Amino acid sequence: MNKKKTSTKKSKPAESVLRKESDRALVDQIRRLQALPMNQRTHFLRVRHPNGGSHL
Amino acid sequence: MNAEPLLNRIAKVFAEQRLEVVMVGNAAAALHGAPVTTLDVDFMFRKTPTNLKKLKAVAKTFGAVILRPYYPVSDLYRVVNDDRGLQLDFMAKLDGIRSFEGLKSRSIPVEFGEHELRIACLSDIIKSKRAAARDRDRAVLDILQKTLDEQEKDQH
Repeated sequence: MNKKKTSTKKSKPAESVLRKESDRALVDQIRRLQALPMNQRTHFLRVRHPNGGSHL
Repeated sequence: MNAEPLLNRIAKVFAEQRLEVVMVGNAAAALHGAPVTTLDVDFMFRKTPTNLKKLKAVAKTFGAVILRPYYPVSDLYRVVNDDRGLQLDFMAKLDGIRSFEGLKSRSIPVEFGEHELRIACLSDIIKSKRAAARDRDRAVLDILQKTLDEQEKDQH
């Protein structure tokens, strides 16, 4: 039982650290894109597959 | 996929037809630096008989057809060429946006090839997605807001 309690307590900070890391990565990606001229931020178009689905 | 060749062609065709539009949606958000993707390119336009004729001419140039999907809120005209995977959506109404003139006055001209396309400002794109409140719009709101925050930091 003690083991369970400890793992629950540990998972919350770990989740928060992951969220912060994910946010930081997102902001970095935005900054990299914004460093380019607007007419070069063009890798956003997905291609539709004839039988459903899509790819970049 | 890189949309640059398509955007160059769109800018050229719109300029030839003198069709006044403002790019909105995820494509416009991506041009502001938001890491989002999309299957189509969305535009707002003024629905007038002249512009509808111009839209027909645009569709003809792209070898596309104009569809009217049932989405009455936007008064949507969809220009589609399935063989080329082309989908351009033209909306006369946009959730959260009062007028085309207002949207245009706040938009930014961006050069594609020898011509320009007007791109809606990011706060208008966010406002529109927030007002539309569809799941797929809500899903990107956080990313768009972070992109706007970074844009504003850059300007100050």
